Amino acid sequence: MQTSTLILVLLALSAVAYQLGRGRALQLVGGPRRRRDLHSLPAYYGLLTAVWCGLPALVVVAGWQLLDDRILTALVVDEMPAGTRALPPGELSLVLNDVRNLVAGNVAAESVTPAVAAAAQRWRRLDALGHLGASGLTLAVALAGGWLAWRRITPRLPARNHVERIAERVLLGCSLIAILTTIGIVLSVLWESIQFFRLVPVSEFVFGTQWSPQLAIRADQVGSSGAFGAVPLFAGTLLISAIAMLIAVPVGLFAAIYLAEYASRRFRTLAKPVLEVLAGIPTVVYGFFAALTVAPLLRLTGERLGLEVAAESALAAGLVMGIMIIPFVSSLADDMITAVPQSLRDGSYGLGATRSETIRRVVLRAALPGIVGGVLLAISRAVGETMIVVMAAGLSANLTANPLEAVTTVTVQIVTLLVGDQEFDSPKTLAAFALGLVLFLVTLALNIVALQVVRRYREQYE
Amino acid sequence: MNRPELQTVAASQQRVRERVGRSLRRRYRAERRFRACGLGAVLAGVLAVGGLFVSIVSTGYSVFWQTRITLDIQFVPEAVRAGDFTALVRAALRQQFPEVEGRQDLRQLYGLISDGAGYELRDRVAAEPGLSGTTAAIALLAADDVDQLRKGRSDRHAPEAERIISDRQLAWLDELDRRQRIHRQFNREFFTAGDSREPEQAGIRGALVGSFLTLLVTLLLSFPIGVAAAVYLEEFAPRNRLTDLIEVNINNLAAVPSIVFGLLGLAVFIQFFGVPRSAPLAGGLVLTLMTLPTIIIASRAAIRAVPPSIREAALGMGASPLQMVAHHVLPLALPGMLTGAIIGMARALGESAPLLMIGMVAFIADVPAGALSPATVLPVQVFLWADSPEPAFLERTSGAIIVLLVFLLLMNAAAVILRQKFERRW
Amino acid sequence: MDLERQQQRQTVGDITVPDPVICCRGVNVRYGDKPAIRDVSLDIAHHEVIAMIGPSGCGKSTLLRCLNRLNDTIPGAVVTGTITLDGQDIYDRQQDVVQLRARVGMVFQKPNPFPKSVYENVAYGPRIHGLAAGRAELDEIVQTSLQRAGLWDEVKDRLNQPGTALSGGQQQRLCIARTIAVSPEVILMDEPCSALDPIATARIEDLIDELRQNFTICIVTHSMQQAARVSQRTAYFHLGDLIEVGPTERIFTNPRHRLTEDYLTGRFG
Repeated sequence: MQTSTLILVLLALSAVAYQLGRGRALQLVGGPRRRRDLHSLPAYYGLLTAVWCGLPALVVVAGWQLLDDRILTALVVDEMPAGTRALPPGELSLVLNDVRNLVAGNVAAESVTPAVAAAAQRWRRLDALGHLGASGLTLAVALAGGWLAWRRITPRLPARNHVERIAERVLLGCSLIAILTTIGIVLSVLWESIQFFRLVPVSEFVFGTQWSPQLAIRADQVGSSGAFGAVPLFAGTLLISAIAMLIAVPVGLFAAIYLAEYASRRFRTLAKPVLEVLAGIPTVVYGFFAALTVAPLLRLTGERLGLEVAAESALAAGLVMGIMIIPFVSSLADDMITAVPQSLRDGSYGLGATRSETIRRVVLRAALPGIVGGVLLAISRAVGETMIVVMAAGLSANLTANPLEAVTTVTVQIVTLLVGDQEFDSPKTLAAFALGLVLFLVTLALNIVALQVVRRYREQYE
Repeated sequence: MNRPELQTVAASQQRVRERVGRSLRRRYRAERRFRACGLGAVLAGVLAVGGLFVSIVSTGYSVFWQTRITLDIQFVPEAVRAGDFTALVRAALRQQFPEVEGRQDLRQLYGLISDGAGYELRDRVAAEPGLSGTTAAIALLAADDVDQLRKGRSDRHAPEAERIISDRQLAWLDELDRRQRIHRQFNREFFTAGDSREPEQAGIRGALVGSFLTLLVTLLLSFPIGVAAAVYLEEFAPRNRLTDLIEVNINNLAAVPSIVFGLLGLAVFIQFFGVPRSAPLAGGLVLTLMTLPTIIIASRAAIRAVPPSIREAALGMGASPLQMVAHHVLPLALPGMLTGAIIGMARALGESAPLLMIGMVAFIADVPAGALSPATVLPVQVFLWADSPEPAFLERTSGAIIVLLVFLLLMNAAAVILRQKFERRW
Repeated sequence: MDLERQQQRQTVGDITVPDPVICCRGVNVRYGDKPAIRDVSLDIAHHEVIAMIGPSGCGKSTLLRCLNRLNDTIPGAVVTGTITLDGQDIYDRQQDVVQLRARVGMVFQKPNPFPKSVYENVAYGPRIHGLAAGRAELDEIVQTSLQRAGLWDEVKDRLNQPGTALSGGQQQRLCIARTIAVSPEVILMDEPCSALDPIATARIEDLIDELRQNFTICIVTHSMQQAARVSQRTAYFHLGDLIEVGPTERIFTNPRHRLTEDYLTGRFG
């Protein structure tokens, strides 16, 4: 049975269970007229029966869906000839790919080896068997659950409380997804990173200044597939982020100050949405803008001034990234500035301070922690930004502080290492996860500090 | 207090007056400078927005037209039966310029018409079998280089060596133009075709459908889960370590770089759970995890805006907490939650980095049939085209961006309207 | 009816003084369309403490904020009529707000020390106006200001701690010290004790009495007792009108206007 049909059948079964449960509750007290003798409204008895019928069965379906591929693979590999099983993981996965393609009907049966054909046959048989078994199990669980709940119905049964307790559990489960996501991120990057660090020592990764994952530079290199010294990537990321912050912080901050303290109401209602437009533009568009317009413009300007500007200069990527972050800084700064109580401004004006003196010495001073928090969040965004640098920054890992040269970043390398067909266990793909781990840890630290600072600041004036 | 002090105070009052007077010019100059900096910053931001839009629109607006060349096609029955429609196109071209000879020259001549013209004829005959054996004037898609030239995107006065179109081709085109066989029309194919290696045949239909399917998966998963989580955290959660942990996680996930979600999707959904690569389902799952924090935060704000008096009224009538939430809080908070969901969806629509990780970056010419078939999405299509060397793809890229921005604009406008219409002040 | 209203609006008592420092004539203030005070005329003498009393919303704070043009910061506030300081119209185009506010300082209802150290709070005014030539002179100004505000002994060991860490009464005295560090001629006080406990209030009242030697003080207060204790003259406001002005003792023992009497005897307020 197809999964979708199975779910429809489950829904139908639950509907039937609802009617049965409701009917039984009413029947036990002797008809709808006496329904006040029930502990809860009759609908709750129906709901309780339906939930017991549907929910456990749904868990079975979900479990089967998530695990069938792995179970099947394991079973099929088990039956393969010993020679195939002994293949290294990369080649084995290629063989399995053939099997899958054959099963899906993507390739003709004549074009594969007999072993693969046999495995495919076996796969099909197991798959059919598994589906049948899973469907049977699901239906059995549904019927059993419904029947048990139905049997337990008595007029004194607090059905509403039971239903509400289940509902609350479901709600809790939904909010736990936030934690599960974080755990998922940590586990996925950590697991692959540990495998990577088995091949490449941590010290080489963190302190090495040579990054060339594509080619071996020494014969005795680990996995002989390249050098994995990530310092040039860190330096490149820092350089581009620094350029971005040099643009975004002053412009964003001054824009927020002007809009909050100087601008007339009309100017504000016009200019603020325009700046917010910047926040809504997809990063891929910024990347295209950087590559299409800004980089050639910088090159041209550089030529006029007699400067050598690389086509994929760090300056172009950083500049456009800065533009992207302007609204982020300005809206956060705006929040912080408007949170400063008017009484402080009055106190300063009352002493004869001019507007800019008040802003510089009192308002900004008071809002400083909040603004620092906002800037930290902005840095975290700059460090993790991907599309702009993928499209406008370079691929080669230069260790330079010259913004006119091309540099590469952590995110660019993650993308280049993982896009395209890769064997999953090669040091190249694993390196991407190690870079991901670094990226996650750095941004996590920045975010946590920033969120703390901002929260403290908000509490101060609440 | 004695007389001397009185005098010192009076004296210092006098001194203050003088000093303040002297400092005024300098201070007002600083004031004006500061103010100018502020105004400059705002204008810089506005200028950036303007520059971005001008550069995208000016390169992209012409994608909505295409150049077609009308040729008299002789539908020779043998060629129709054999399916060799390209030969028909070539014959028609030779008929226009019978003087052209030699392989080199002929190849240049054939290069005026798109490689896709043969497929167009095939579809035409399939729809109208009576055409076989007749001759008809049919407007055929021009090659991308011709299209770019006609749109003025490549300079016809440049020296031949720097031109893609040769002098001979230029002469033929001028002759065709004189015979009134070249015209331009609305580029319907841009919206109805899938991706292609040939710029003039490439369209965004596949990417649009892919985006739609991906967003559908995202919305179906993230909205119910997000609202449920928000309800739990606002209405049921006790204040304990677990709740604090959930809060910290939500706030932090909102700031985790999107590419990290891509790594998660690759390792967990694709490698561990075996979700098919490149499928909208995989993309939707990743984007769900990314948009959940947005939706949860917005939904919580909407729930918090419902005044406690309504909750107390419901509880006072003997409603259970769940009934109170379902009957009173949720209906009142729904507009705010929907606004948050639309904004989350708009962000998901523009997201591309995590989707690169899970293989939605492959070249896929077919329009995806379902949530499990390989697909790409609009922003990734932009990325793919931006990487292509043909100059004609520049225009396609900008065109796709225009379409993407229009969709984003519509979604944000919907959110604004929803907010204004249902915003309630308690 | 009209006549009665007219009579009500006529200020009772002598609004003029010889040699006034501040002189208000026919002052009207409105916020947008909402009138806040109507046709108020009042003189303020050198080195006197004048109390402004009346029920909430009567316009006394509005008048106070006019005297150093702090209403300028409120969008939609419109002031008409003339207010002169030493014979000079403060709403004149020539008049500089910064200079005016350096001469007419203000202490607010809620203590509002800046989020800086005690020292920096007091040094703020002298710094922005460039009153001290060097660190030593600045130190001296800070010390004398804190001494005059009666706060020196309490804070001299913690000048570098944040001003917000002081107690409410100390914060308010810090704000007074901050104001007198600029050596203004007039100090406006907008209900300076309303956020303080009785002991802190008593200290501030003593301080006001001492400051009278050197400064002119206008104090808005909700407390009639406070007005009676600290002021020499009292002005009673009602719904935007100045009802009665006179020596404090006379107003409290023998009010001439019915509204003043009603207020003082607690019939409303």
